[in-house]
Amino acid sequence: MDLVQRYIAAVQRELPESKQQEIGRELQANIMDQLDALAEQKGELADIDIVAVLKHMGHPRVVARQFVPPQPLIRLSYMPLYQNTLFMVLGILFLLQVVQTTVSWLSSADMGLVRYLFSLASGFLDDAIFGFACITLGFWAMSRQPPTQSDACETDWQPEHLPKAGPGWQHISVQDIFTDLATYTFLLVVIWYPVWMSADQAESSGFVLSDQTHLLLKWFSPLAVLGIVVSLWQLRQRLWSHRMLMGNIALNLALVAATLTLAASGPLLSADIDQWQGVFELVDLERSAMLTLIIIAMFPLWEAGRDLLRLRKM
Amino acid sequence: MTTAQLDKMRLELRRGVLVLAVLASLKQPHYGYSLRRQLQERGIEIDEGTLYPLIRRLAEQGLLDSEWQQGEGRERRYYQLSELGADLLSQLTDEWQQLNAALSSLLGGATQESN
Repeated sequence: MDLVQRYIAAVQRELPESKQQEIGRELQANIMDQLDALAEQKGELADIDIVAVLKHMGHPRVVARQFVPPQPLIRLSYMPLYQNTLFMVLGILFLLQVVQTTVSWLSSADMGLVRYLFSLASGFLDDAIFGFACITLGFWAMSRQPPTQSDACETDWQPEHLPKAGPGWQHISVQDIFTDLATYTFLLVVIWYPVWMSADQAESSGFVLSDQTHLLLKWFSPLAVLGIVVSLWQLRQRLWSHRMLMGNIALNLALVAATLTLAASGPLLSADIDQWQGVFELVDLERSAMLTLIIIAMFPLWEAGRDLLRLRKM
Repeated sequence: MTTAQLDKMRLELRRGVLVLAVLASLKQPHYGYSLRRQLQERGIEIDEGTLYPLIRRLAEQGLLDSEWQQGEGRERRYYQLSELGADLLSQLTDEWQQLNAALSSLLGGATQESN
């Protein structure tokens, strides 16, 4: 009988404390009934017979799991909402981190591009871990509540309110929206940050753009604001419509024009960028900056072409 | 179809039916082992790992009443259909009979077609 006691104790160890006594008691009664029935057939039981019965019952962990099935951390019905919230919050945290790191980068004289990217990645990782833990804990707490009937949006709905069936590309992913938002926010911070800098900060900062380039960028900043508005609109709609595609084409063509105008205007870089002296010639840097801008212009141009094709298919 | 697929589908098919079988058997009071024996005698094989947790779950849902009793020098937990369980059993029986009739006609048709 020692084997039975050991088996029951092993099952109890896998159970929540509140259920250990009751399930252990019931399990013992059931096992003893089986052993009695076996003893009626075979006479006195040896340890090997008890072992066979217990093996047939299953591993203590499996038996415990059958009595008290493990609960998922987050209820299955909350999973889509959980994933959506996670992406949204991580997207917002990324935007905030872009602003924070860009401000530090612009106000620091010795922060290079690699350090900027490292700082952005590590800062975002810190925030993301915290955000992930908070959201998961929140949903875990919600999942501990007793289940309710389906919420209003799942019961009060009309088929005619559903969006028209369309191709897969019509759905706008949250990641794409937040990537755009991060880009536009970064641009705005880079363009307008010097306005808030004191003279000393401006002196010590590693700001490398020429006054003329900076002035042009200021003129183009409404485009970045418009980009943020369009992205927020996309976040609300989440589905490409005819109007949204038209708006996006116009915005992207304007961005192409602005970037190419910037590339054609010279000089792009400030002439007194001491930190590059002895490493690169200013002329080479100018040419590289111009080529970079032309390459950058290709992205909105590609998006405009893509949206034009989509518009024709709609 | 592989044996694993067949086993999985058989398990799914039996899962709902087992509840009905257990509820129907517990019109009379039974303890775990005696219930299993009765189901076996009626041709329903069910292992302990499935049956005992299932009875507990049904009891927790208020479908079964339970009571510890002393018998043959040992205590046993006896289960019996509660009032709520009896109502549910009656509804499930109707549902099962309708399903069974519909399925019999479907399966009969399928058997004739395959012949």
